[in-house]
Amino acid sequence: MLAFVARRVAAAIGTLFLSSVLVFLALQALPGDVATQILGKDATPDAVATLRKQLGLDQPAWERYFDWIKGALHGDFGTSLVSGKPVGGEVAQYLANSALIAVVTILFAVTGSLVLGILAGLYRDRWADHLISTVSLVGMSVPEFVVATVLVLCFSVALPWFPAVVLYGPDASVGQLLPAVWLPALALAIVMAAYIVRMARTSVIDVMAGEYVTTARLKGLSTWRVVTRHALPSALLPTLHVIALNVAWLVGGVAVVENVFNYPGIGKLMLTSVQNRDLPVVQAVALISAVVYVVCNLAADLGAMALNPKLRTRGRT
Amino acid sequence: MTSTQPMTPTEGEPAAPPVVSVDSLSVSYRSGGRDLPVVHDVSFELAQGRTLALVGESGSGKSTVAATLLGHLRHGSRLDGGTVRVAGHDVFALPARELRRLRGGTVAMVAQNAGHALTPSMRVGRQIAEAGSDVPVLDLLEQVRLPRPADLARRYPHELSGGQQQRVAIAMALAARPRVLVLDEPTTGLDVVTQRGILDLVAALRDELGLAAVLVSHDLGVVARMADEVSVLRSGRVVESAPTRALFAGAEQPYTKRLLASVPRLTDDGLALVGDNGEREVRARAVVDADAPVAVSAQDVTVDYGTARAVHGVTFDVRRGEIVALVGESGSGKSTLAWSLAGLRAPSGGTMTHGSGDLARPARRRPAALRRLVQLVFQNADTSLNPRRTVGDAIRRPLRFFGTAPDRRSAHARALDLVRDVRLDPALADRLPAQLSGGQRQRIGIARALAGEPDVLIADEITTALDVSVQAEVLRLLDDLRRERQLACLFISHDLAVVRGIADRVLVLRHGVVVEEGPTEAVFADPAHPYTRELMAAALEPDPDARPLVEDVPDWTDAAQPGDVWTDHGGGHRVRRWRPADTSDTPDAAVTSVSEGVS
Repeated sequence: MLAFVARRVAAAIGTLFLSSVLVFLALQALPGDVATQILGKDATPDAVATLRKQLGLDQPAWERYFDWIKGALHGDFGTSLVSGKPVGGEVAQYLANSALIAVVTILFAVTGSLVLGILAGLYRDRWADHLISTVSLVGMSVPEFVVATVLVLCFSVALPWFPAVVLYGPDASVGQLLPAVWLPALALAIVMAAYIVRMARTSVIDVMAGEYVTTARLKGLSTWRVVTRHALPSALLPTLHVIALNVAWLVGGVAVVENVFNYPGIGKLMLTSVQNRDLPVVQAVALISAVVYVVCNLAADLGAMALNPKLRTRGRT
Repeated sequence: MTSTQPMTPTEGEPAAPPVVSVDSLSVSYRSGGRDLPVVHDVSFELAQGRTLALVGESGSGKSTVAATLLGHLRHGSRLDGGTVRVAGHDVFALPARELRRLRGGTVAMVAQNAGHALTPSMRVGRQIAEAGSDVPVLDLLEQVRLPRPADLARRYPHELSGGQQQRVAIAMALAARPRVLVLDEPTTGLDVVTQRGILDLVAALRDELGLAAVLVSHDLGVVARMADEVSVLRSGRVVESAPTRALFAGAEQPYTKRLLASVPRLTDDGLALVGDNGEREVRARAVVDADAPVAVSAQDVTVDYGTARAVHGVTFDVRRGEIVALVGESGSGKSTLAWSLAGLRAPSGGTMTHGSGDLARPARRRPAALRRLVQLVFQNADTSLNPRRTVGDAIRRPLRFFGTAPDRRSAHARALDLVRDVRLDPALADRLPAQLSGGQRQRIGIARALAGEPDVLIADEITTALDVSVQAEVLRLLDDLRRERQLACLFISHDLAVVRGIADRVLVLRHGVVVEEGPTEAVFADPAHPYTRELMAAALEPDPDARPLVEDVPDWTDAAQPGDVWTDHGGGHRVRRWRPADTSDTPDAAVTSVSEGVS
């Protein structure tokens, strides 16, 4: 069991290392010189050279990579080319705001869609199943910015319950942001839920048709006990990885939705930094996305281990 | 429970009030908008302490009938009429709560495949505890003769062997101290030795607890051993009902006769051919020419799975036109050996050669010509054929691949010929595997293997999943084909009676080691190794009064020494050295070290 965990963690670290290299290389491959970009086309070659030296761009790429990684491991992602402030602090501020949306989304979307998916599976081919399946399919097929816009129309314009856009900057407090969190979270949840609902439904149906569930029923157990003790541990197994992928997808989905709501989160930061060619910030955000992906998948693997004794007891006789 | 019931019921005893009575039961299954009757007007009664067997082939509705005793119908099935009464309750009229009490207390079921019937994510002790509260789990585990119950209760199902899983399932069924036990093919997935152990256990518990039992089985050997009465089902109807002895002594219906005649017997000295009215004719074994060339030769073959050795120094030849059987229980390494020959698993030692090349190489490194000549037929034709291709396609593909048919048109014609060769209607070539019966699929599996015109055919348990009458037909087909095409055939089976009918020579494997080998007649006439005797003693004959072919199986220990492995009985019959285990010896490592592995 420990060996399994260790192997997974090692693989996660390896993946992170590779993705950091890819992020770094991808940004190196961007056309144009950063110094020229910052100083403008009319800058004197001397000024460009000075700035290049200042930014360390005259060093070979691999040296810059190791400097960057060494810094990143200590929480130092360099200085923003635009604001001149440390990237770490800036990113952390936006990240915390995004995390607020993410946590709300995950809490509601994951629990809600799991419950709906399980219900649909249990009441297969009856009206509850048809309703849940159809609605979730519609949610899946509409892009998130459309869902977000529709939500704004309904709940900010027609019924003025929630703010349509956020008027605060990145340093807003949780209290200030909280009213604005619900609509973006709902938009993301609607899009995300569909996958989880469908997966949970399919695996519940599969498992409920299985022989051990029939056996449990024929032991005279109550339906509640059959479902919670016998069916769900196996039914959740394939759903776990879908959840993990969806949670990781949030990083990207958040970027679009945050822009609709003008929410000061990581997605918005990413977009502005790309437009401004603020490479240190882009690098840091990309690396953080990679971390989120890897951590989500690692969590799913460990969750699978908790649900599946075959993984846990490997190596024991 | 106090047992006032007779310990061993005998036939002809005055009938006690029935604990189970099924009256003109009809069930239909809804499929594609139509109601298909699966059970039609079935009635029977069962008294406390007695055992009724429901016998039939797949699709006979026997399992459906058995499940109604617990008030269970498969998703999509419907009760069309009739009543099922258990201990005075009409099970289909009971409210949900009462039905649950009945299931939890009065009737219990042991499902066919304990490996699938136990919840994988729950420790077996908890699963047993859930089923009833009166008897401590450890007592139950002891009652089903499982060793070290405390340790076992904490394990998960996948950590148990098939036999242990089935014992756990039985313990679970007995937990609530039921009055009626429903056994749905309780030993079908198990090998003969394990099966014998489970059946003995069930019989002992049944007598000890005075249970009424309904046994569902397709295996007439099992039925002959266990049941007091038998109902033969076919397409949802009862064909014939009789006390066991009467039925086996003189069945009245042609269907029952045919069924009984199709069961291969340990005493057949050739393949039994069954007529429409159940007359039985044993066809003499084909004579293999003394100068028939050797098609495959294996010398000292060893196959490892990681650190576990599945096959340990096995040597044999198969000549053209000869069927050599590999026999052993699960885990004996017989399938591993077959897979190695087919090129699916490289051997770690020894040599395997074919007239035209080296078989020690995996299939993908063998030249196409050699791959064509050595073909494997799988145990499960339903999972080894692509479900989305017509079976004609499945046969055409190797024809084109190996170049045995030069163009599309001739490939098509050849495929139809092959379908005819395996005695099927060529019109079936356009069907998908799911549209064929199990026996038809297995014939297609054979036709596919024959497409490359091989001279060696490896048949891995090809009749295990089939009904007896279908098995008889497939065996006959295989026997015909080897006569017509001079095929060298390696036949893997755990069923000694099947082997006796079809094989020319037999190798008995135990834990990857050959313990006895020789011409079939010689080995069956004088099984000299205790393990061979154990296998024969465990085999069940379709006759309630059958005497076991061998009586005594001594405790033994391996006594083979390097350079002195065999005791020669003459005529190619040789037996691995052993001696009675009277002294406190440690068993020989070669025989006992390999308990893992695939069979």
